[in-house]
Amino acid sequence: MTTANKKLVPTVCHSACGSVCGLLAHVEDGVLTKVEAQDMPDPRHRHICARGLSTIQMVYHPDRLKYPMKRVGERGEGKWERISWDEALDTITDKLKKIREEYGPQSLMWCVSTIGGLDLSYASLAGTLQGTFASIIGDGDSAGPCGDMASFGAIWGDCYLTGMENPEVIIAWGTNPAETSVFGMRQIQADRERGARFIVIDPRFTPTASKADQYIRIRPGTDTALALGIMHVILEKGLQDDSFILENTVGPFLVNTQTGLFLKENEVIAEGSDQKFMIWDTSANEARPSDSSNPTPALTGTFTIDGIECKPAFQLLADIVKEYTPVKVSEITEIPEDIIRELALYYAQRKPVASYRGMGMQRTFHGDLTYRAINTLAAITGNLHLEAPQLPVYELYMYLHGIMTCNMMPILKAYDAIETGDPSPIKALWIAKQNWVNQLPDSGRTVRDLFPKLDLIVVADIFMTASARYADIVLPACTFYEQMDLMPPINVVPSMPAYFKLQQRAIEPLHEARPDTEIVRELARRLDLGEYFENSDEQMIELLLSTGYPAEMGITMEKLKQGPVKAPRRPDIPTFSTPSGKMEFYSEKLFGLGQQLPCYKEPLESVRTPLSQKYPLTFLTTHTRFRSHSTLANVQRLRELEPEPFLQMNPSDAEPRGINDGDIVRAFNDRGTMKLKVNVHQAIQPGTVNVNQGWWPEDFIEGTHQELTHSVVNPAQDLIYEPNSAYYDVLVEVEKVREG
Amino acid sequence: MSKRYGLVIDLDRCTGCLTCIVACQTEHNLEQISGIRVETVGGTGRDTPSGTYPNFSMHYLPIPCMHCAEPPCIPACPAEAISKRLDGIVLVDEAKCDGCLMCMDACPYGAIVNKSNTNTVWKCTLCDHRIEQGEVPFCVDCCEMEAMFFGDINDPSTQVSQWAEKRNAYLYKPELDTNPGVRYCPPRDKQK
Repeated sequence: MTTANKKLVPTVCHSACGSVCGLLAHVEDGVLTKVEAQDMPDPRHRHICARGLSTIQMVYHPDRLKYPMKRVGERGEGKWERISWDEALDTITDKLKKIREEYGPQSLMWCVSTIGGLDLSYASLAGTLQGTFASIIGDGDSAGPCGDMASFGAIWGDCYLTGMENPEVIIAWGTNPAETSVFGMRQIQADRERGARFIVIDPRFTPTASKADQYIRIRPGTDTALALGIMHVILEKGLQDDSFILENTVGPFLVNTQTGLFLKENEVIAEGSDQKFMIWDTSANEARPSDSSNPTPALTGTFTIDGIECKPAFQLLADIVKEYTPVKVSEITEIPEDIIRELALYYAQRKPVASYRGMGMQRTFHGDLTYRAINTLAAITGNLHLEAPQLPVYELYMYLHGIMTCNMMPILKAYDAIETGDPSPIKALWIAKQNWVNQLPDSGRTVRDLFPKLDLIVVADIFMTASARYADIVLPACTFYEQMDLMPPINVVPSMPAYFKLQQRAIEPLHEARPDTEIVRELARRLDLGEYFENSDEQMIELLLSTGYPAEMGITMEKLKQGPVKAPRRPDIPTFSTPSGKMEFYSEKLFGLGQQLPCYKEPLESVRTPLSQKYPLTFLTTHTRFRSHSTLANVQRLRELEPEPFLQMNPSDAEPRGINDGDIVRAFNDRGTMKLKVNVHQAIQPGTVNVNQGWWPEDFIEGTHQELTHSVVNPAQDLIYEPNSAYYDVLVEVEKVREG
Repeated sequence: MSKRYGLVIDLDRCTGCLTCIVACQTEHNLEQISGIRVETVGGTGRDTPSGTYPNFSMHYLPIPCMHCAEPPCIPACPAEAISKRLDGIVLVDEAKCDGCLMCMDACPYGAIVNKSNTNTVWKCTLCDHRIEQGEVPFCVDCCEMEAMFFGDINDPSTQVSQWAEKRNAYLYKPELDTNPGVRYCPPRDKQK
């Protein structure tokens, strides 16, 4: 394979996409000449896409940051002066020490977008310093996980919904895997070829929808109501799967209707356990612990036990579902009643049904309830695959020094911490592999209200991103071809390949770029913490592999250097990691917020609220095959495929505004504005407009999509796991600027 | 029958990911142009359907050089720069091409592109350099949905022929009697 000047390096595509495909890099005289898909143990997992192929143009892009720079004008003014690495790191260190002295170590925050890997060295440093590490799962991806955490006790529950063999019907809810989740789409295509019926529910007619047997438009943000309406029809017809509900859900567990808590054995029997759930045994006509021998538990009814009124959780679900008649749900979702009834029959009578739930759908303010409603629908019809997600990804990195003690702060909470100092002030912000201004919500708030509160902003990146422009010091970082890393098995969707993968260094760092791990080591040394950061990248990976799960599974560096190694299933993960050990469609924890059961709430910025008088259009910012978030937006080959941003608008919305296809329009709300070209067509639902996200500020005529979004915290999500950025829960108005 | 290399493209599998376009560019070091393009068969713009809701229709059509048995580009070229090999691959000899672009007009599939930096034309070679190494064309190798099949379309035992047979492959613009070496499997009918 290797000659003197030519080599093939197995590595991974680590470019802000969750698939992390195995790549084979061709290197000649130290120059990356070509990439191709790497052979995988399972050929179905061999894959490369237009983005992966284009990453070479990212590496050799003329605009790469080449050396450290310090700001010499105002923040964002774009005036820079080249400095040495030593000067950059010394200056940063002095500033960090001063800020730590004045405001405490928690005021130092790192914001690093990572899907695992040694980028977590920043978290390790933050932890060692007792500093703060921003959790960026709330950058659009945490509402669904909140729902899954409540339902299953696991943050990525797609395995339960899509892991079954040979589904008869596949329902894609608000998801476009043809563009954003190739392994999911490959599975769907294979199932279609086998004869499965494919249904897509989406406000947009997407490449995925083009493959559907049935495409159903829905008013954005109302999927929860649809799931409840389907459940209404199922319960009305008595088509629920009682034995599945009894066996696998909290359905038979009695709930104290006053406190909203599950009744426990010790509330009924003096010496009883406070852990045991109670059921109503219809044969004995009394409440008994759920683990009694041969009970006949009731799923419905109201029972009084020692003066306490109780109902089985399933009865409480039935009570709430009763409210969601097809008439009402049709009015909410704008889906005809007969389609709601038809979907009910699929779920109940064409099993198994695989429900692919999109991340787009959960980017509404109550996206956690949407996931919970669909999970509940799947559970009461017995359409859950009873196998837990394979591996808690981050556990892999717990052996990095300090990582378990760092103060993790959800990104939306960090907005408040920076702006108001609550719960603790943040005064230094270090951004790496993250483009806050471009990709996090309400960029106006960030630039106007947050950044001025910071005494130091450092950005390590490969380009002068929208965020780097606001830095005091920018540091040139490496692309993934220039640094070594260990990629964890990620199988968010069961069809996604779960492998340990080694990201091998294919080429030396370009210009003066340094790997983030080296930046961390240098910084730690200056902060007198060098002793904790002596390991090289390879040593760190050896350490991670030598402990816990990878060691038990026999994953070694030698094996990984040859190529990806399949992550064996962990034997010790319970089916559901909820407090009850069952699928919990009823969540005690959320009783106080009135969300103990899935229920429909209008989107925060709904077209049915008074705000819509001023801003009548729902605004989406969907993901595409042309970029990975803002990564690769400046790469020529991908720009040839999609040269500029455009607003997608239905003719019925364009016409009354005098807008024609190709015109320049302005989308705006109280938070900001965005000027761009418009595409008028039928692929988007009336009342909804969309721009493919990830474009950089210079790609718009004026403003950006992120000026329009908001950063409002959802309290239920805050309570369960982490509040999400509700990017798809935004109202705007659109006006014509000029003819195209 | 003699060997004839060709492609079978399953339009039901194709999701319009456009990876083939970039694969061709990277394999052949092309800027701005590619040996394959992908059209949306539906509405007027990319990724838009024809029809009205709920009766939308859309699919994608990747169009490389068809490597015709009777290629209209060959007689159209005054410089005699285009030739057909015995294995069916139609190639442009860039050294002979003087950039008159007559072949571009002659090709009914729009498969020949103008390589402006060298003032020649360029088109899909079926990655003849890879075929010689026993590999498949790079677009086929990279196809996300495994919708492209390469092989001897004259040999009924090959995977490519069998896929064409099983999925009722059709010829693009058969009325032109070009006898394309690229065959298309139609999108499946929607289930009622």
